[in-house]
Amino acid sequence: MGSIGQSHASTGLITAREAGLVACRRCGQVHALGTQNCTRCHGALQSRDAQSLQKVWAWLIAGIVLFIPANIYPMLLTNTLIERSDSTIIGGVVELIHYKSYGIALIVFVASIMIPIGKFIAIAYLAISVQQQSILNMHQRHKLYDFVEFIGRWSMIDVFVVAILSALVQLNTIASINPGIAALSFALSVIFTMFSAQSFDPRLIWDADRKNR
Amino acid sequence: MTDSPTPAQMDIQDGKPSGARRISLVWLVPLIALIVSLSIAYQNYANQGTLIEISFENASGIKPEETEIKYKDVTIGRVEDVEFAEGLTEVLVHARIDQSVAPYLDQDASFWVVRPDVSVRGISGLDTVLSGVYIEGSWNQEPDVQQFEFTGLETPPITRVDDKGTQITLRTSDGSSLTAGAPILHKGIQVGFLDTPQLTRDGQSVTVTAFIEEPYDSRMTTNTRFWDTSGFSVSLGAGGIALNVSSIASLIEGGIAFDTIVSGGEPVRDGDIFDLFEGEEVARNSLFNDPDLPVLELAILFDGSVNGLAAGAEVRFRGVRVGTVTNLSAVAVEDRVTGPLVQLRTIIAIEPGRMGLAEDATPEDALILISDMVRTANLRARLVTGNILSGALNVELFEDPEAERAFVNLGAQPFPVLPTTENAISDVGDEAQTVLDRVNDLPVEELMASAIDLMDSLDQVVRSEGVSQAPDEIVALLQDTRNIIGSEDIQAIPSELRAIVTELNDIVGDAGEANIVGRVSDVIDTAGAAVANIDLATQNLPALTEEIAALVAKANALEIEALITEATATLNQIDQFMATEALQAAPEALVGLVDEARGLIASDDLQAIPTDLRSVVAQIDGILATLAEADVATQLTSAINAANAAAASIETAATDLPAITAELNELAGKANDLDLEGLVGATTATLDSINALIGADETQDLPGTLTVALDQMALFLAEVREGGAITNVNAALASAADAASAIEVAAESLPALSARATALVNQTDTVLKSYGERSRFNAETLSTLRDIQEAADAVSSLARAIQRNPNSLLTGR
Repeated sequence: MGSIGQSHASTGLITAREAGLVACRRCGQVHALGTQNCTRCHGALQSRDAQSLQKVWAWLIAGIVLFIPANIYPMLLTNTLIERSDSTIIGGVVELIHYKSYGIALIVFVASIMIPIGKFIAIAYLAISVQQQSILNMHQRHKLYDFVEFIGRWSMIDVFVVAILSALVQLNTIASINPGIAALSFALSVIFTMFSAQSFDPRLIWDADRKNR
Repeated sequence: MTDSPTPAQMDIQDGKPSGARRISLVWLVPLIALIVSLSIAYQNYANQGTLIEISFENASGIKPEETEIKYKDVTIGRVEDVEFAEGLTEVLVHARIDQSVAPYLDQDASFWVVRPDVSVRGISGLDTVLSGVYIEGSWNQEPDVQQFEFTGLETPPITRVDDKGTQITLRTSDGSSLTAGAPILHKGIQVGFLDTPQLTRDGQSVTVTAFIEEPYDSRMTTNTRFWDTSGFSVSLGAGGIALNVSSIASLIEGGIAFDTIVSGGEPVRDGDIFDLFEGEEVARNSLFNDPDLPVLELAILFDGSVNGLAAGAEVRFRGVRVGTVTNLSAVAVEDRVTGPLVQLRTIIAIEPGRMGLAEDATPEDALILISDMVRTANLRARLVTGNILSGALNVELFEDPEAERAFVNLGAQPFPVLPTTENAISDVGDEAQTVLDRVNDLPVEELMASAIDLMDSLDQVVRSEGVSQAPDEIVALLQDTRNIIGSEDIQAIPSELRAIVTELNDIVGDAGEANIVGRVSDVIDTAGAAVANIDLATQNLPALTEEIAALVAKANALEIEALITEATATLNQIDQFMATEALQAAPEALVGLVDEARGLIASDDLQAIPTDLRSVVAQIDGILATLAEADVATQLTSAINAANAAAASIETAATDLPAITAELNELAGKANDLDLEGLVGATTATLDSINALIGADETQDLPGTLTVALDQMALFLAEVREGGAITNVNAALASAADAASAIEVAAESLPALSARATALVNQTDTVLKSYGERSRFNAETLSTLRDIQEAADAVSSLARAIQRNPNSLLTGR
């Protein structure tokens, strides 16, 4: 596990920070450590984002807080001539299974339940791992971070479904579909976790790895 | 070395204070998210409403999370949970009620389940076929101590708490024609309705709470009378035949009407008790017969049968009604001479005010007056004929100048006993019988014997003397005599009488074969007109009766016996005369005498008797044939029993009735004008026929048959009401509700709805057919149900489309 890291260390690979340099994250120009602004693009230079972990945790907690009402309250308010029903996310999945639409049920379940929760766990793990000993090596954690960033937007699929249905099915008294409180909560939760993932400074992974060595 | 450029000093600043120690602004985001989430949660909790519990015997159709609670048709809550009470005795429905309404749910709040219901008054709750049942509540507008547990009503209450009007109690002895919700009519307009009738605690009477809506309740005073208008009634009274029909709803459900005929009286307050009378006439009469006025009750012990006397019969004094017969009973009396015997005791109630006493006269005053009159003016009680056709009797207080002295037995229990005198029952049948008896008693045989004697004498005369020149004439004489006795006219009389009786039997038999299943509505359409005609016709009846009575009296007064006796005497005298020697000595006069005798026997007068009898019988036969053609009896019954044709026939027949009565009048008048012999014959025959008609069992049974027919009708309608039809429709609609709920379960079951709705329509169609094809009620119900079916079809096809291709919503196709 630690073989690659050790191989890095044995080859004497050093970070820019250790070399007294700082790279601009936007244009890639390298400056001496301590330079405030990039000489090329005038962006602020930071060797490490000191507030990164704070932001990660703050967005993550906001996302988790909103994820609770997103699952308790109804996502869709369906009014038809004969009845009025409202379904939560998990209720909708159960209903889809009931109607034997296993494929759609699986998509909804993965996109709306598994991915958000997986993201919470993944981001929390990454945030903790830069402060403490990790069981995953640096490379694996980088892979995990990339995956979290990539997959995050797919959680919005449920929100899009609700938005489209609400816009399409407005047949006055016969049938109408309206978004519930959960739709907004869920959308915010997804957005916040995306922010959380973006706030994470992957360079911290290297530092933590070195520190722990 | 100082000019050598030195590299610019790196612009190094102290970094901002360590990030770890600074709190990022981003932390506001989760804080706000938390606050918003909590506030949403709190708001939801706060808006949740008050939890109440309603217990029902049966929670048919109530679904958790779906069934709504409504007040004045506005949704104010929703059922959350349905569970059983301990011991599974009841179903507990937990519901959340809007915060704003909850404080009004106090002691007077009531809840019931609204289901589709079809009754004669209309269809209600039809919307619940599609939407499912809901729970309706009712309470007043003042908040009181809030309650959380309620007992649900099984049926919607008749009156809502906030309905405005007056609630009264009606008391009756027979509740068979009263149903909950039955209409209360005032001048034909529904102004209220009945609650469920209840037996009183002692089981003696039935009370029912009635609700009269504002502003009609101000039409009621303490002088208001209520009567039962259930169904229709045919009454044959002294005033003639009356057929009364009320609304079709009251025909099936029963109904009550009221009217305030006399002004004055106190305004009615909630909870006042009124008596319910069995008919309008009784109700109206009761007004002039105020039950609150004190009455003098007397007992009368009549000898013999009081058949025809009934409670409610009038007590008359010189033709004016002074009281009522209240009770008839048999009492065992111990007689010192004859031992125990049963007497018929008639109790009469005399109103002092009607005996000419002052308004405030007491029964005691009336008793003094009557006992004085019994002593001084020989006032006696007797039975008189009230209605010559029905044989109903009334009691008359009669001043009999020939009566023996008698007194009111003041000490008798329970009431003083009034002495009686000979009854004056003018039974048409009896009197006609008397006339016939007298005709039968005529000494025809003696007359014949005398004639035979005369023949013998003549024979002797002929033998004794040479009168052989006259044998031909004697033969002719005998032939004539035989002709008279054996004449076809006389022979034909009994058979013709029999034919008439048979014909009458047929007529009455037709009436008996009542087959009462038919289109009641059609009967009712024409019955109104028929009643008017019948009424008109019956107005003439009393006049006819009087004339007949006069005729009978005149017939009775005839001195037929004397006539015949005289004839017999004359013949005897002739016989004696013939036997005298002087006559025998005068053979020459024989031929002339025989001629004379023959002339006498063959006289037109004697010959005319049988002919007249026959012609009168024929005439009566004709009249009866006319009656038969008019088919009065048949059409009366078939009016009740059959369809449009039958009902129309009643009208036709009824139109003929005035003509018939007029004819009868004319006949009676003609009969009065007849010469003596014709009068005797015609009257006898007429009265005989009338006697046969009146005395025939079938005629006597006619009112009974009508009653039975009407009873059957009532049974049929009761069956319709109680048992089958309406319940079936309700059940059908309940299954329709199930069908509708199937829509809610799954889209797959939607197509089944249309099939079920079709079945429902068919079923309802079948049931409603019994109400009569093409009736408006039927048509409207059918079209309503067809509309529902179409709506269900439309929803079904929409749902099918969505189900078949759910993506189309997304893809936009």
